[in-house]
Amino acid sequence: MRIVEAFVGEYASGKSENAINRSLELLRQNHKVTLVDLDTVEPFYTLRPLKKDLQALGLNVIAWSPEETMGLGEAGSLLRQEMIWALKNEGSIVLDIGYGVHGAGIFNLIEGAATDPDLKVYAVVNTARPLTAVKEDIVSYIKELGRVDGLINNTHLGDETTPEVVEEGARIVTEAALELGIPVVYTAVSQELAEHFAATDKMGNPVKIIKRYMPQAFW
Amino acid sequence: MNEKPVIGSRRVFMTGNEVCAWAALAAGADIMYGYPITPQTDIMQYWTRLAPKYGRKFLQTEDEISAGFATVGGVIAGKRAFSATTGPGNTLFQEPMSMAEMMRIPTVVLLPQRGGPSTATVIYSQQEVTMTTFGGNGEGFRVVYSTAGHQDLYDYTIKAFNTAWKYRFPTFVLGDGYQAKMREPLTIYDPAERGIEMVKTEPLVGLPGTPGVDRPVQHLRNTYNTEEELYDVVMEIARDYEKAAPEIIEWQEFDTEGEMDILILAHGVVSRAAQGALPLLKDAGIRAGHFRPITLRPMPEEQMRRAAAKARRILVVESAYGQLLKLVKEALYGMDKPIDTLLRPGAGVTAEEIVQLIQEGR
Repeated sequence: MRIVEAFVGEYASGKSENAINRSLELLRQNHKVTLVDLDTVEPFYTLRPLKKDLQALGLNVIAWSPEETMGLGEAGSLLRQEMIWALKNEGSIVLDIGYGVHGAGIFNLIEGAATDPDLKVYAVVNTARPLTAVKEDIVSYIKELGRVDGLINNTHLGDETTPEVVEEGARIVTEAALELGIPVVYTAVSQELAEHFAATDKMGNPVKIIKRYMPQAFW
Repeated sequence: MNEKPVIGSRRVFMTGNEVCAWAALAAGADIMYGYPITPQTDIMQYWTRLAPKYGRKFLQTEDEISAGFATVGGVIAGKRAFSATTGPGNTLFQEPMSMAEMMRIPTVVLLPQRGGPSTATVIYSQQEVTMTTFGGNGEGFRVVYSTAGHQDLYDYTIKAFNTAWKYRFPTFVLGDGYQAKMREPLTIYDPAERGIEMVKTEPLVGLPGTPGVDRPVQHLRNTYNTEEELYDVVMEIARDYEKAAPEIIEWQEFDTEGEMDILILAHGVVSRAAQGALPLLKDAGIRAGHFRPITLRPMPEEQMRRAAAKARRILVVESAYGQLLKLVKEALYGMDKPIDTLLRPGAGVTAEEIVQLIQEGR
């Protein structure tokens, strides 16, 4: 089955981390996986520095390498032609989209995005971030993003995350999802906290254990 | 309209630029003037997202010279006004900020340093130390806080407004692109609930009453006629600055209680590498301490000298080619201490690199 998922959301909400983890999960399930960095907003904190490592793990990664870019952050981010045609790749495809409304605008430039029958757009939410800390703010933010098919509860406080922080996020994100009429696709739990969680969180959302790769992504 | 942006206190997860916008909101800043430049732009973007919710304002100017002068103007009008810039933008800010120095205008500018010279990189450096502490034509009558992470960015952005308005010197919060973009948890709080009273702002012109009759004439000048006239004014500012300095200086010391083989001097985010190096050096049998100036201007000179006196050698570590080093040499003038350096202009420094350098030097 072909899986096509795009991760959108607020800046620093955890899009790249979840996109990487989802790609590797699909790879473990024997999918042929293409991971595409479509962050044209941000010169930093993208998955670009991890490109080689992720390729070594077996992913087909479409992204700039930092050394290929010229005037990083000053000259604007260019789309590679492989990015525009990303949805034509064989197998499953995970898209890591730049942040906010302008980031989500990238769908206009991706061939076939409007008509792809398998495409799902998931918004990543961390309620420890004040701009998306309460239901009302999450709902209004998600509505600005355009098409969103589901929410991902990625609530955490970095190294200080506790199970309570994650569960509180699950509660708020679930309330927002109910109001938006879309599902919570899963709650992301860092592997350090895995032992505290069963298959679902207290709201009944599936729990997905993720490994944090982005702390290694220096520009 | 929401009243308070931050109620009570809570633990949150943010980028450094986002922290700056929240801190300015919590400090009761009325208006930000700015012109975009990476890695500062997110401060503006977060401010423009948040400010309307709390009745605050924003003006994007045509360039950094205008942003600096507009900030001066906003402050003169009695607003708790601020701006943010970096790199070549900071260069352009020096003209309006030296005007603020001359006229004693309490401006606040946030500076997530990028690489230099010129446009260089959008990423990171500590290369704006000389410019921020002593830039412009003048004497460096300004206050510069150097932050080492998100809690600092929050605390010192709030404090910068009070320092500026209390002492009437332009005040800068010197961060860097790493802090701007990195994410870590911090506690945001309503300053009032921490017992922090925001210094009241007031218009510097257009005061009530007849000048010369009901009140002294308020004549803000950055232009003087004769050498003697200027000399008197600058010396008065100098006296005010020297008097305020002991109240303004801030620093941190780590493991400096006893005799040290080496004292590591670092500021800003590089201080975190120095702090990380200490336990590694201890394991290696090296008695190391770390002194971190938080204010780079005024510099906590006496405190640095006291710490240095207990060490056999000094190691200055910075992401610049000797800008902190220059300030350290001035502070330690006359002391007979060998100074080693780890100077990495525009590049980060890790705890391991510091440890390696010290071990090789043994």
